[in-house]
Amino acid sequence: MPDSAYVLPAYLLLGLPFLGFLVLWLAGKSLNKFAGWIGVFLTAIGLIVSLKYADPSTLHLVKFDWLTIGNTAISLSFRFDTLTCVMLAVVHFVALLVQLYSTAYMHDDPNLHRYFAFIQLFLFSMIGIVLAESLLLMYIFWELVGLSSYLLIGFWYFKPRAVWAAQKAFVLNRIGDAAFLTGILMLFYYTGSTDFEVLSLKIESVSPGILTAIGLCLFGGCMGKSAQWPLSGWLPDAMEGPTPVSALIHAATMVAAGIFLLARISFLLTIDARLVILIIGTITMLSGAFKAMKAWDIKRVLAYSTMSQLGLMVVAVGFGSWQTALFHLVTHAFFKAGLFLSAGSVIHAVTPSQSEAPFDPQDMRTMGGLRTKLPITFICFSICAGALAGLPFFSGFLSKDAIITEGFLWAAEFGVLGYVFPIIVIFSAGLTAYYMSRQLWLVFFGEKRFEVSPSVHPHESPIAMLLPIILLSVLSLFFWFSVNPFNAEGWFLTFIGQSEDAHLAWVPIVATVTTLVFILLAYRQMQTNDPFDTKASSVSISTPEKQKLTWLRDYSQEHYFIIPFVFITKYLKLFEKKVIDGFIDLLAKGSVIFAHLIGWIDKTFVDGGVNLTVFAIRSAGQAARSMQSGKIQSYYIVTAMGIFLLILWLLML
Amino acid sequence: MIEHILSLLIAIPLLGALAVAAWPSQRTENFRIIALTALVLEFLLAVFLYTTFDQQNPNLQLSEVSDWITLPIGTLGVVSIDYALAVDGISLPLVLLAVVVLFVGVISSWNIAQKTRGYFALYLLLTGSVVGCFLAQDFFLFYLFFEFMLLPMYFLIGLWGGPRREYAALKFFIYTFFGSLLILIVMIGLYLSVIDPLETARAVGILGMDDAVHPELISQIQQWLIDGKIAPEQIVHTFRFAYLADPGNYIPGSLLSIASEYFIADTPIRLLAFWFLFIGFAVKLPVVPVHTWLPDAHVEAPTPISVVLAGILLKIGGYGFIRIVFGFFPIEAQYSIIPLAVLGMISIIYGGFNALGQSDLKKMIAYSSVSHMGFVLLGIAAFTAEGINGAVYQMVSHGILSAMLFLLTGVIYDRTHDRRIDHYRGLIGVMPNFTIITGIAFFASLGLPGFSGFVGELFTLMGAFQSNALPVWIPAVSTLGIVLAAAYFLWTYQRMFFGSFWFRNKDLQVLNDLTLREKGMLLPLVFLTILLGILPGVLFNITGPTVKAWLEGLK
Repeated sequence: MPDSAYVLPAYLLLGLPFLGFLVLWLAGKSLNKFAGWIGVFLTAIGLIVSLKYADPSTLHLVKFDWLTIGNTAISLSFRFDTLTCVMLAVVHFVALLVQLYSTAYMHDDPNLHRYFAFIQLFLFSMIGIVLAESLLLMYIFWELVGLSSYLLIGFWYFKPRAVWAAQKAFVLNRIGDAAFLTGILMLFYYTGSTDFEVLSLKIESVSPGILTAIGLCLFGGCMGKSAQWPLSGWLPDAMEGPTPVSALIHAATMVAAGIFLLARISFLLTIDARLVILIIGTITMLSGAFKAMKAWDIKRVLAYSTMSQLGLMVVAVGFGSWQTALFHLVTHAFFKAGLFLSAGSVIHAVTPSQSEAPFDPQDMRTMGGLRTKLPITFICFSICAGALAGLPFFSGFLSKDAIITEGFLWAAEFGVLGYVFPIIVIFSAGLTAYYMSRQLWLVFFGEKRFEVSPSVHPHESPIAMLLPIILLSVLSLFFWFSVNPFNAEGWFLTFIGQSEDAHLAWVPIVATVTTLVFILLAYRQMQTNDPFDTKASSVSISTPEKQKLTWLRDYSQEHYFIIPFVFITKYLKLFEKKVIDGFIDLLAKGSVIFAHLIGWIDKTFVDGGVNLTVFAIRSAGQAARSMQSGKIQSYYIVTAMGIFLLILWLLML
Repeated sequence: MIEHILSLLIAIPLLGALAVAAWPSQRTENFRIIALTALVLEFLLAVFLYTTFDQQNPNLQLSEVSDWITLPIGTLGVVSIDYALAVDGISLPLVLLAVVVLFVGVISSWNIAQKTRGYFALYLLLTGSVVGCFLAQDFFLFYLFFEFMLLPMYFLIGLWGGPRREYAALKFFIYTFFGSLLILIVMIGLYLSVIDPLETARAVGILGMDDAVHPELISQIQQWLIDGKIAPEQIVHTFRFAYLADPGNYIPGSLLSIASEYFIADTPIRLLAFWFLFIGFAVKLPVVPVHTWLPDAHVEAPTPISVVLAGILLKIGGYGFIRIVFGFFPIEAQYSIIPLAVLGMISIIYGGFNALGQSDLKKMIAYSSVSHMGFVLLGIAAFTAEGINGAVYQMVSHGILSAMLFLLTGVIYDRTHDRRIDHYRGLIGVMPNFTIITGIAFFASLGLPGFSGFVGELFTLMGAFQSNALPVWIPAVSTLGIVLAAAYFLWTYQRMFFGSFWFRNKDLQVLNDLTLREKGMLLPLVFLTILLGILPGVLFNITGPTVKAWLEGLK
């Protein structure tokens, strides 16, 4: 139902961040001092507006006409429902905390105004995705989110790696977006609209085969944004951006847009499409977890973990339960943002006061034993890590538990083979516990390896940074989502409309036991002589070349995408030069040769003929001229001859 | 003035060209100022044209028709060539685009130093012919303007161009001339097959000079034509677009009559004529594989000429497809939709890959043009309202964006005479404004929503998906074009603008930021691409009714 009361919040929610973007961007460096606070202020208003207008029980639509072409009328319409309520609150809240954190973390950056401008641009586009009522409109904001992500990853444009990562992110996303766009346009063809309200009515008329194709094309968009295999390579590289950006965009909100998309379109996903989604999600979940176990960069571990968790959410959608996916999205947004911000606090603490080439403040091999220096960060990090690992009494436990339960319920319907998937999820949860224990130990326990650099003096971060971390870690506790720490069926799942109340009591127990087993494995590693191969691999840290190689850890990933492109490009360029232009050149040369031939013929025969004629005439002329010698006698003879001939002719008549 | 506004649009630049050629003084400023004055007047007229144009009306508007040549040639009938000008929703956007781009081009020509008299005279001649091309409603007149464009273009590239200018100019000329020849052949064939019903009615004697024309009369004449009641010497042949597009005006049994039974190599002659016309305009668009003149011409042409070439001249190809190729041969077009769409798809992908492989900035942009114009062909081939509207939109959008891109290339080339992408790094450090505007142009060109490029690509693709005749895989593969666009634009952006500043020729301290003149050229284009990106209705309101009526007329 069109609802005029919601025009104002639509304007405010989208208008304020866009205005903020324009003002901060155009104002230039003069605003650097206040940029952060302007951003915080605008986002706070946004949060208040989104909470004030939260009316989850009913659907509100706001519609603006855009254009009509042929038989296709396209309007810009926005919707407010349960899903938007949740997402608006999460996005605004995390963004508010991240901006608050950034005012301290980024305080001496000369381009602060740009930084906060881009964050406002990101918010504008992210809120657009959340509010969009049609897939086309969502696609528009989807691309703008890609732009703001590009701008923020590449914020430190003087770092070649950062710019490369930004570009890689955009291009890999574009591959997914091309599929997304194809899906949208196919929907236009088959149903004449991409408005969710219209789609939900018309979707029955589309044949299942085509619907599967459409669903998978749309899932392509999710694969790009939510870093699903094989388009996942950009996410770890995106860590080149500032850490708060990683927390906001590449952990809590933007990468969740893919999951949000799946939640929105869940009604049109067929069983076949779900199965493909499930498989892709599983691959992503496992590969992310395995890579996280090997990474040394503090942020990369978290990035791979994000990848793995996004895979888990996609798996939940594959199980047919977008509600649990959204649940995990929300809990993950809080604890992962908390982890990133804590990691930022650690990096902030160990960054050397003088710049030293070989020292990498993000490498966990040069950390260790930081818990005494950074006690608050340590506690918050531990809480968030516990939530990520899925330990009881934390929020992550609830959402992961819910997904596993859904998995077993789904497998019961699917058949015996289906049980593979929830079991893999439990295994992957175990891996999560393992790499988080590893990270916690490498950063906060063990010997103090940062002392290799004399100018590193770890210190606790200022309050503007600690406050967001504390808030986020508090939100990672169970009671915000469910009263019973062992039962996910709390108010939150009811709120977003999870209808099934089947609860498998043994699931939390099995999951917890698995988690504890993996933590035990990690603990045994800590007790060894060289825990997690820290020493063996840190030998190489001192030499700059090796250091460079560790920087390029994931560089080889580009090859999968770049090499075929380079190959095709090279040969097409050759084709262009040799075949097409070669043909044209041959044609041109042939014409010239032909022209020469014609020229020769012209000269020899045609002109020859002319010359011959001329010659003949000239000879005749010569002959005639010789007669006119001026001698009277010869004139006489000629005259006589003439008269003679004349008489002869007359006689013959 | 209002009834002769179209004639004025053509006459002003031509008079300007004469003025430049005949001006007594040798001072360069005078020529510049004459050219600028002519284009300011032209621009004001175009604004006036936009305001007078009735957007709801799908028909030709502001028509100016007068007999030009009428010559009885015995049993072959009567030769009739009209001076006919008009605009409708398809040509108006292109006329406006032409005026804007040519206006920007003249500002960009400000620092042309050699042989300025010749340069500006030719430039104004070009202006007049381009505008004439979009306004002409008579095939002969159109062809005249079409050919007339080649001449100034040839000299503008050949005399004011880069090191390989002679080669490029000749290549351009021969390619386009080859295309024109094919068009000419079909034009003559059409001419011999079509009558002007009104003039014929006058010749037969059933219509007096001052009588009102009513539709029954035309159908009566057409019926007589079918019955063979009209003597050959009374038939008035015509070049008028409006008559060529009406199947009723084709003489039964003539070469290109609708039910023509002539075949050449087992191909119906009308189909052959369709392909001849198509190739003729495909060279202009350009469509792979007849596109190789474009990169050479662009690389060698001086900046303003590249701007005009990419901004306007290519669009005549697309305009020709809609108005002439599809307009006169709709049945053959429908029959050939799939190969046409495949050619569009190949252009998109092939141009994209080639753009990715270039190290010369201008060449990269030239190939991106090939890719973007592929969307135009795809949209037209879709033969749906969305596709045709999208194609016109894409032409306008590409006109603005390619003009911007070539101007930006010109900015850097003016300073260093070096266009190689890998000779620069970190330009953001020394030229921040230049970097921002290039960023806008790049992101707009790669189809970011909010800019015009997105809308054009969206609707051409949407049209192709909507078409019942096209298989889904053609537009689906074409979407790969937007991935390639992101790759080549962002890769170039990364290589040239980011990182720490470095320039191959270090002792050149000439890399200062945009001047006021350069900003003056670029910012209006930035404004236009954003305006069209956010409010596509500005353009679709003009094209929509005409395209709708046009499609209904053909089907």
